[in-house]
Amino acid sequence: MNRRNAPKTRKIGAISFIAPEILQLNNQAKLLWMADVPNETARIDLYFDAGLRQGKNAVVSITSSMLLSGTKEIGSTEIHSKLDDLGAFFDIGLSHEGVMVSLYALKKNMLEAFKILFESIQNANFPEQEFNEIQAEKIQNFKINMTRVSVLAQRSFQQHIYHKSPYAELSEEIDLETTRRSDLINFHHEHYKKGVFKIAIVGALQEQQIAAIKALVTPHCITNELSFHTAFCNKAGSFHIEKKDAVQTAIRIGRTLFNKKHDDFLDISILSTVLGDYFGSRLMKNIREDKGYTYGIGTAIAETGGSGYFLIGSEVGSEHLKATLIEIKKEMNLLQSEKISQEELQLVKNHLLGQLLKMSDGPYAMMDLFLSVESYQMTSDFYNAYIQRIHDVNPEVLMEIAQKYLNWDEMSVISAG
Amino acid sequence: MIEFDKYKLDNGLTVILHYDATTPMAVVNTLYDVGARDENEDKTGFAHLFEHLMFGGSVNVEDFDKELQKAGGESNAFTSNDLTNYYEIIPANNIETALWLESDRMLSLAFTEKSLEVQRNVVIEEFKQRYLNQPYGDVWLELRPLAYEKHPYKWATIGKDIAHIENAVMQDVKDFFKKYYCPANAILCISGNFDSEKIEGLIEKYYGSIPGGIKPARLLPFEPEQKNFRERIIDRDVPADAFYYAFKMSERKNIGYYLGDFLSDAIGKDQSSLLNISLKKEQGLVSEINAFITGSHDHGLFLITGKLSEGIDFKTLDEALWEKLNEIKKIGFSERKLNSLKNKLSTAKAFQEQGLLNRSISLSLFELLGDANGINEEIEIYNQIENKDILHFAQSTLLKENCSLLKINKSK
Repeated sequence: MNRRNAPKTRKIGAISFIAPEILQLNNQAKLLWMADVPNETARIDLYFDAGLRQGKNAVVSITSSMLLSGTKEIGSTEIHSKLDDLGAFFDIGLSHEGVMVSLYALKKNMLEAFKILFESIQNANFPEQEFNEIQAEKIQNFKINMTRVSVLAQRSFQQHIYHKSPYAELSEEIDLETTRRSDLINFHHEHYKKGVFKIAIVGALQEQQIAAIKALVTPHCITNELSFHTAFCNKAGSFHIEKKDAVQTAIRIGRTLFNKKHDDFLDISILSTVLGDYFGSRLMKNIREDKGYTYGIGTAIAETGGSGYFLIGSEVGSEHLKATLIEIKKEMNLLQSEKISQEELQLVKNHLLGQLLKMSDGPYAMMDLFLSVESYQMTSDFYNAYIQRIHDVNPEVLMEIAQKYLNWDEMSVISAG
Repeated sequence: MIEFDKYKLDNGLTVILHYDATTPMAVVNTLYDVGARDENEDKTGFAHLFEHLMFGGSVNVEDFDKELQKAGGESNAFTSNDLTNYYEIIPANNIETALWLESDRMLSLAFTEKSLEVQRNVVIEEFKQRYLNQPYGDVWLELRPLAYEKHPYKWATIGKDIAHIENAVMQDVKDFFKKYYCPANAILCISGNFDSEKIEGLIEKYYGSIPGGIKPARLLPFEPEQKNFRERIIDRDVPADAFYYAFKMSERKNIGYYLGDFLSDAIGKDQSSLLNISLKKEQGLVSEINAFITGSHDHGLFLITGKLSEGIDFKTLDEALWEKLNEIKKIGFSERKLNSLKNKLSTAKAFQEQGLLNRSISLSLFELLGDANGINEEIEIYNQIENKDILHFAQSTLLKENCSLLKINKSK
């Protein structure tokens, strides 16, 4: 054996994407079920049309934190103890587009745990004492977060990327302080009582259990079509937020783009990977592995219901801010002026296929893949098209895409430190 | 039940094979029995710096990541006070690439000056990002030397001083590699959808000829039993006062580890835990309170940490906390509470074991502790826990003289 020679690698074969069964709950809301799970675990994701875009950030956020804080009949401690007895746990995620409550349990306990969870959410009455407690906690967390350069940069980035749109709203301490319990009650009434737009179940539950969940949820589903803000345009230019004595400076650079419904989505995703979305990417190689300015730097394509954006993020030693920005600009220009080599492109293609294979490993991963296309009224075909595009894409196309979307002058360039 | 096979190569490398036909992936996990506890007190942070250097090219392969990415794989690593762990996740039909790469860097590194210089800078930025430029980020840098007087757990994995990283030289790197990075000091766990007929041959091909080395003896300073309460108060520019109660507890292999883990869940894991209900909800003294253990292989720590509510002082919290701890030492927990904790542990374990990488790392960790099959035994250990065990643990651990308390005063 000659250790200098790499072993032969084999191409990644076809991936068969498994779609969940889809049941209509009413004319708008759906239940997705991935039943083929070879073990005892189960997960239910419950989606409410109660995201940040539906109200004042402070109100929306406190409401989502208090969904399991008590009803007229039963207090928060008892709700949590009942879920504990069943060995169940949950988490709650909030975005502009919605609130997702995920419940995890062994399948034998799932139906019972779900009933407790769902009824608690539907009958939440936001007890005064719990409200005061969570409000104080949020205010303290807010103050702590505002000492982080990453948060300062991210907030400013959000304002610039969603410039002059409802998504640009940021909550301040005063907003948390002035929120009233009645605001939550009203918001809950408007956006939770008839707010379910999707429920996704992974687990080998029985048909009658699914039917029971369906019956429980259906009366609380939305009846009007979801609608999302689509017209975003970022405010370009450089903006700095001063934070005294910070030893690192956070950087966020980006521009408004689109989501996966757009024809250029796959190409810009591939280009973003080349630039900064894997360990061997150009930015990682340059800023971290050559210069040592940072612990990490990366790019992403983020999507919203009606739009999306491109993002570069990093935290760099404060003395390296200027040099880092120059290098990032240089890397973006390079993608616009020089075609990527076949060798590098082939590496990125292999990397992307490997990632996709990993992301489709097992029923939970398959459900998550499906959910991220279903939100855009698309099917698993998207992934087959993606694989095809990874094979087909060429250096000329990527250079054109870079010229189209990676113009430095169109970027919002935020630094905090 | 997680099935696996285990054997040793002639050079002393421990091999664990865990086959899973349901996944298209494979994981190659390599654990080296070396962590920050093995460092010299004037060269701390070295095990972790070394982990970075492992990606800087090996004797026959210039660019580790590039070769792995070509094969559709990805890699990462972590260092703790106890151990260093590397893994590759790769499409199963390209597993040979991961074996080639991982075995070559076990054989020898390239040791380039450029890599050392760059990674020193990267680690310094990591130090800043995680420890210096975050609110409460330096807590562990302060708490460890308070809780440990002699044992090397008194410094954090990142190192106790940036200067130690800045001053690292190539000879240090070479010595470290020679001493710790050899088959006799490593555990290789391969899991996923590999070809069962061929895997042992492949392992022999890539690893069989690496000189075995000698497993270094570990002679660490013994931490004397703590006899007096310790307290340290520091001022930081943060918005809320914070507290960290650290109690010494047993080593990882002792049953005390499981009892400590269980008790910490009971009093401070989530909203229905005892301290959350009493100190946060009922008394409003804290905005958050948590309990957890470090799980260190040598004597570990049982921690109760949190932040004071606006307008509450440390003394009030301290009195209320000890009242609760004394109550636990007297009565422990109800049967219902014990059962619900056991149920939650079972659910959590079932979810963790979905992931191929988790299984791979766990098998390696348990093997380091003495037997990979520990992965299949831990739930039963938790299930056997009774109230009297918890009482005993609490009575012998949650003692004032066994406690080190770090307080962070907010800027006024």
